[in-house]
Amino acid sequence: MMELDDLKKMWQQTPVKNINTDIMKILQQKSYGPVAALKKTFRRQMVLMFLIPLMLFTTNLHDIHGVLTSILFWSYVVFCIAIIVFAYYNYRIASKMEGMDAMIKTNLEQQVQLLEKRAKWEVAGMRGILLFFILLVEVVPYVQHYRMLDKWHSLPVAIRFGAYAMLLLLQYFLNKEIKQRKVGRHLTYLKELIKEMQLLC
Amino acid sequence: MQQQEAERQFEKHIREHELLLHKVCRMYAYTDADRQDLFQEMVIQLWKAYPKFKGDAKWSTWMYRVAINTAITGLRKKKNFITSYEPASFPENISDESSGMAAEEQLQQLYTAIEQLNEIEKAIVMLYMEDRSYNEMEDILGIGEATLRVKMNRIKEKLRQLTKNN
Repeated sequence: MMELDDLKKMWQQTPVKNINTDIMKILQQKSYGPVAALKKTFRRQMVLMFLIPLMLFTTNLHDIHGVLTSILFWSYVVFCIAIIVFAYYNYRIASKMEGMDAMIKTNLEQQVQLLEKRAKWEVAGMRGILLFFILLVEVVPYVQHYRMLDKWHSLPVAIRFGAYAMLLLLQYFLNKEIKQRKVGRHLTYLKELIKEMQLLC
Repeated sequence: MQQQEAERQFEKHIREHELLLHKVCRMYAYTDADRQDLFQEMVIQLWKAYPKFKGDAKWSTWMYRVAINTAITGLRKKKNFITSYEPASFPENISDESSGMAAEEQLQQLYTAIEQLNEIEKAIVMLYMEDRSYNEMEDILGIGEATLRVKMNRIKEKLRQLTKNN
């Protein structure tokens, strides 16, 4: 029976199939790893959230006074700033995940820790957005009149708040599902590897 | 100018240890396209980490760390979901022509068995086959030398069992 030690010599002598190894050309390429993709998403989010209020403002130049006194516009600006801060925080977490020169065990532990931290922040962020939206819908009519909110406010308070509670509950389960689909499988895989290494130590 | 000089130095270092990257690709990626992608990703990650290399570890040790970390956690983004590398077949037949059919079959059995190991065990096997010292393996993996020796014996036994069963 062939043993690992028999394979050792063959492994060392085996010529390696030639693949493109133009190092300088590769350095011009971008990383296609998931961390790079995450960073790209957060960068896009930040740019988009900066551009949208600007666009709203420029397309309503004929009614600057109306725009500047609209509570919805300013709420939207606050919302965009919050998203930018949130995306920047996530971007920094993703940047920390890029470091690949630590020992394998340390790197795996760091990846798990950062992924869990990011997922936790994502849940908190989604909840924050939802609460902000609820607050806006409830408070705005007391400050400014918007026809689209009339129907909603004509409903009894119990129904409105029941709906909000349902929405928050739905968000809780949806977040769980999204987290599982986005990073769940990968987190399990990383945790299994760490467990394997801990069993060794 | 400084950037160009750094790039030249980096390329020189990579060229000296290029084989190391190919071996990692061979262990963790199973198709030519995957190997190409993994090689590219490893070089990019090495370049990103290059400014942090202070020479505390040997260049090859440092390269192994980045390469194995990239191979293990170097995931692909498929649609919107992060997925790990899918274990595929280990098709490369590397037996030399002089060896007989039986040896070739045994070799294939051994490769099939290695394929069934987890990513950490694969890393240990690869470093062992590369004749790395246990001390260096500890520096790369972060697992104690004594534990590695025990684990290596267990992996050998596991491979024996797996080749018997295959």
